[in-house]
Amino acid sequence: MTEILSLTEDQRDCLQEIVNVAMGQAGDSLARFLEVFVHLSVPRIRLVGSSELPEALTQLVGGAESICAVRQGFYSISSGKGMRGEALVIFGDKSFKELAELLAYEDDLNEHTEKELLLDVTNVLTSACLNRIGEQIETELAYSSPSILGFRMPPQEAVSPEKLIWSQALLVEIHYTLEKGSFSCNLMLLMPEEVIEILKKALDHLLESFE
Amino acid sequence: MPIPLLICDDSAMARKQVRKSLPTHWDVDVTFAENGAQGIQAIREGKGEMVFLDLTMPELDGYGVLQKVKEEGHKAVIIVISADIQPEARERVVKLGALDFIKKPIDSQKLEEVLKKYGLL
Repeated sequence: MTEILSLTEDQRDCLQEIVNVAMGQAGDSLARFLEVFVHLSVPRIRLVGSSELPEALTQLVGGAESICAVRQGFYSISSGKGMRGEALVIFGDKSFKELAELLAYEDDLNEHTEKELLLDVTNVLTSACLNRIGEQIETELAYSSPSILGFRMPPQEAVSPEKLIWSQALLVEIHYTLEKGSFSCNLMLLMPEEVIEILKKALDHLLESFE
Repeated sequence: MPIPLLICDDSAMARKQVRKSLPTHWDVDVTFAENGAQGIQAIREGKGEMVFLDLTMPELDGYGVLQKVKEEGHKAVIIVISADIQPEARERVVKLGALDFIKKPIDSQKLEEVLKKYGLL
């Protein structure tokens, strides 16, 4: 079993606020993309080891039998910061249908357009979120293009530990409520241990500046 | 007399960030609230003539606080400080009685500009 690195309460609060600012940015991007007003909720964050991810994920999707998962890699382009990892966005089947309806995709929804929709929304969410996180810890990030990790499959299969490169996962639960219905998805940032350590140092540095 | 100033945000870091961004010689008496319910209570107790209010909070959110302030007729000057940067969020809070809207993360320069704009400094 992977050892779970823990965050202190101050670090967790600090990271949650950073993610909150980031999700505000992503919410705005999503609102523009969907042309609706998006109600934001407080994002919940926690760290889990990647071996425990399938179980955590099953809980997060509320027992949904089938999910879609999209992966997108990120790395810092500024030297010496060493931020790198992979973002996963998980959509439950129900949310996915709602999203498609919002985008008026329902008439011509086929596997190709569905996948396109997943990739588009993932790109909007991860880039907005990670850019803001990067900005707040003063590192500039670049991304690989998103790809489908699992399409309509049980959570355990979609995010099986052997598919994942990194040992630690920062789970971010995001819930956006839209004017016409709700849509939730989960964003996970998977990172190697040493990057979590870099992140923790950056958080401590930020916290010190407010003392 | 110092101005009773309420900083209402569920994040401890965000509260510190706002406090740290306050103009140095501003004569204020700061109270903190960790959610909207605590916030409205502090306003009722006269601790928030001036309020810096977050929007996404548990218990009662910022929209709820603005609504209650309106309903109960408190004379609070409220500036929303939020991560919700949708233009419509700004319109909504101003409609609900907020004086202005500042994007998170806040910094002292932005805050001073807004306070000066309304002659609050």
